[in-house]
Amino acid sequence: MSTNRHPIEQEELMAYLDGELPPHQATEALSHLELCPECQTLAADFRGVSQELMAWEVESPQVGIPSEINAALGEHLQKREAAKVSSPRLENRVMTSFWVWAGALAIVCVAVGLQLTLTSRNRNEDRSTAYPSMASIEQYLMPDRNAEIAMARSAAPEAISSDAKILVLGWRGYETAVAGKNGFVCMVERSWMSPFNSTQFWNPKVRGPLCFNPAAARSILPLTIKRTEMVLAGLSKAQMIHSVKAGFDNKELPAPEPGAMCYMMSRAGYLNDAVGHYVPHLMFYFPLTDKASWGADLPDSPVTLNPQFQGGPEPITEFVIPVGRWSDGTAAPVM
Amino acid sequence: MISDEALMLEFQGGSRAAFEELFARYRKPLYGFFGRRLNNPERAEDLAQETFLAVIRAASRYEPRALVRTYLYGIALKLLAAERRRLLTSRTFKQSAREPQTDGTPECVLWVRQAMEKLDAPEREILMLREYEQLSYSDIAELLRIPVNTVRSRLFRSRLALKSHLESESRTNPALRAGAGQPHPERRGMQ
Repeated sequence: MSTNRHPIEQEELMAYLDGELPPHQATEALSHLELCPECQTLAADFRGVSQELMAWEVESPQVGIPSEINAALGEHLQKREAAKVSSPRLENRVMTSFWVWAGALAIVCVAVGLQLTLTSRNRNEDRSTAYPSMASIEQYLMPDRNAEIAMARSAAPEAISSDAKILVLGWRGYETAVAGKNGFVCMVERSWMSPFNSTQFWNPKVRGPLCFNPAAARSILPLTIKRTEMVLAGLSKAQMIHSVKAGFDNKELPAPEPGAMCYMMSRAGYLNDAVGHYVPHLMFYFPLTDKASWGADLPDSPVTLNPQFQGGPEPITEFVIPVGRWSDGTAAPVM
Repeated sequence: MISDEALMLEFQGGSRAAFEELFARYRKPLYGFFGRRLNNPERAEDLAQETFLAVIRAASRYEPRALVRTYLYGIALKLLAAERRRLLTSRTFKQSAREPQTDGTPECVLWVRQAMEKLDAPEREILMLREYEQLSYSDIAELLRIPVNTVRSRLFRSRLALKSHLESESRTNPALRAGAGQPHPERRGMQ
């Protein structure tokens, strides 16, 4: 196969079939594959080999956890408990200072409503099967560019969003609509920023206005851009997961920077069918973290773990804290 | 479904249920990993258990820098290398160096296995990590400590070579091929 006739190498074609090409190359590979009988034959060969290999299955004889592992597990957990009882840990100190802070914040938080709503959202998402595949791209775009800019700005108080950079979604991905001055970036996210296994992943009604602070603009926004590019390139979920995972592995996608957070205080958003515009809240990003370190999801805690990423495949933990007012300063309803 | 990484963190925090879930997810894949490489079911079972024991022992030191999947196969590869070293120097090696066991093995599996054995060892390992363990190119590169581009080029060569070996086997013994290539419902192949 000569590259004069084929815009992609054979190895690249294989990488495409494995879901290992970056979005822009995957698009090129797919376009070429649809038209090239020679490459279609090669792709069929690769698939054939893959399928032949599946004949070699290995049946595991063991069913339950073997006694040796059970014993080691019991011993390990016992030692851990003993160590916890005998020495106060740093974790406790962190938690103490956290609660002082969380207590002050609780005045403006609506914790119970948040938890109930999230639970309800998860339950409803599980039941919904309304969006099994991607709708036409037009349904995800907002025809009125100015309306999208206004919605993006509504994610944060005007003192922040008026000087923020504004991105809007176009046919080829997010484009800069307004240059910013303060390092914040405001935009309206679409449904494909849901977890990959969410039934809302292709819900074309979703509009998630948010404003990233500078740390999140550098370290979380690239993920939004990447997912969006892949969706518009027509990649399957499996290909996207592979690509995102590879992106973090090869550092193309950065880890969350210290202090990365975003504002989601718009009353105009629509986050999913279960919660609609939801409650105004802030989100904080970290490398994968135990939710206990923030006291998330504990009774009466205002902090909730958002399952948006959490290793599936992004190695990012995201905590949500509701606030009592919309970005325009009006009081938010207690849910 | 809760991610492997979240389960690992919960286990680190003292959750037995999280470990049991990880065990349920990876027991069969790890047994398959050793089973395909050692031709010795008893040792495959032992080493799969060893992998989990290593996870328990190292739980306090685990950091979520890599996927749990990659972490587990990293341990498995080290145990496999140690086992191979042991076999090279022990009497067990002389016993197991005989022809591969074929009793009760379906012909289609023998056929695939024979074709795989004709590949160069490094290329075979990459192919197996991709096809059976379903690791990404970058995961394989990290585990084998080679560049991602090397993974890709070796994988490419091994697939073409395997295709050629399978075709050659097919010409010499067409009956074998009849039963091969039935996809397993739980596996995801090339898309």
